[in-house]
Amino acid sequence: MSYDWSVVWRNADVLWEGTKITVFLTVTTMVVAVPGGILLALMRLSRIKVLKAASVTFVEFFRNLPLILVIYTAYYILPVATGLRFSPITTAIVALSLNVSAYNGETFRAGIASIRKGQSEAGYALGMSRTRAMFEIVLPQAIRRVLPVLASTWVSLFKDTSLVSVISVGDLAFESMRVRSQTFRILEMLTAMAVIYWLLGYPQAKLVDWINKRSRVTE
Amino acid sequence: MIGTQAGNRRGEGGSVPTVTYKDIRKRFGTFDALTGVSIDVYHGEVVCLIGPSGSGKSTLLRCTNGLETMDSGDIKLDGKSLPKNWNGMRSVRQRMGMVFQNFELFPHKTALGNVMSGPLSVLGKPRNQAEQRAMELLRKVGLADKANSYPAQLSGGQQQRVAIARALAMDPEIMLFDEPTSALDPETIGEVLNVMKQLAQEGMTMIVVTHEMTFARRVGNWIVVMDRGAIIEQGTPTQIFDAPQKERTREFLSHLGWSG
Repeated sequence: MSYDWSVVWRNADVLWEGTKITVFLTVTTMVVAVPGGILLALMRLSRIKVLKAASVTFVEFFRNLPLILVIYTAYYILPVATGLRFSPITTAIVALSLNVSAYNGETFRAGIASIRKGQSEAGYALGMSRTRAMFEIVLPQAIRRVLPVLASTWVSLFKDTSLVSVISVGDLAFESMRVRSQTFRILEMLTAMAVIYWLLGYPQAKLVDWINKRSRVTE
Repeated sequence: MIGTQAGNRRGEGGSVPTVTYKDIRKRFGTFDALTGVSIDVYHGEVVCLIGPSGSGKSTLLRCTNGLETMDSGDIKLDGKSLPKNWNGMRSVRQRMGMVFQNFELFPHKTALGNVMSGPLSVLGKPRNQAEQRAMELLRKVGLADKANSYPAQLSGGQQQRVAIARALAMDPEIMLFDEPTSALDPETIGEVLNVMKQLAQEGMTMIVVTHEMTFARRVGNWIVVMDRGAIIEQGTPTQIFDAPQKERTREFLSHLGWSG
């Protein structure tokens, strides 16, 4: 069997476009899912029962479904059910955000719960309202504390975005597979894909390690 | 009956006590934390609550600013019962500073940021005004040079002095101290007690839960001895430390190695 690596160079522009989409999906999803996760955590800790129940339902639903199922459902069922039709990339962001928000919700809930009760009491003792104490005292500390978890969620997300290739979003995985089916150069394309994912993923993983090490010395 | 003897109780005989606790009761599950406690605190007075751990001192203190709810009884501030709702309590808390055993400084803010946090976010003071006052207070507790340090960079004693400054920044009428030196290394206890002593000399009304008997004796005007959720006896420092009437008080003091 002979290899033809030139197929990779000849399709470099396509792979570059795919890589940009992969990065875009990761960043956009996190931009939605971090506030989403905070909102879910605050709802979960709220004394209003309806909000609490809604948050628990949402988190347990999306956390326990395979991501690929959510992606397929958002793509095929949602437009029929709601009459709304989104582009594949918007659909992908919606599906990823639902999944990652659920995870982040749990992360933030645990982070908030890890802050000593005395901290909010110190705020109350100064005359702060519950909301004020949450946003000014508890949440900033909780976010710092869960930074390592968020960072590893980020790295997982970066790789999981490849699942959206099943609904024809032109990300790195989709473009690589397309070139493969046109050229039948499967080993070359899989290798190229692996190298690109790894080269982008490794620095992120190292960054997570660095954040982990740094955040250990708080309080 | 005891309170009328020794006469160095400030404000007594005057008008209304600043804080009145009347028959305060509190239960945690099957544990009786407070079983009917009544105390009067007069303006400008330093009242020290002493007694073994678990005797209800801290619970009583925390009822004063509503961090703990009581099952029954009445706490009056300047003759008016404390409000029952959270928002009413918020305005009462602004009139009482509280210092915690574990300091509870906000670790993500500098010393200056901690001291400014009340005036900025509760009173809505302008930043430069809040900062000026905060610097004054840090100077007062001897930590002006640590204004930009984070709590993690300060010793326990320094952290507690910042916490005192943070409480004072709200210009409270009353200061509540919940075992302010219990979490400190022995060598830093003195610096915190000195700040408290200075406050007392300036006429601040203070309610202090403490195990520091020397402080209670020298700075306190009124000593309340508690055990198992009840008051064993209360009186002036002289009465309590030199001539305790109750066997339980004598036991407690001798257990701490107090020899008078």
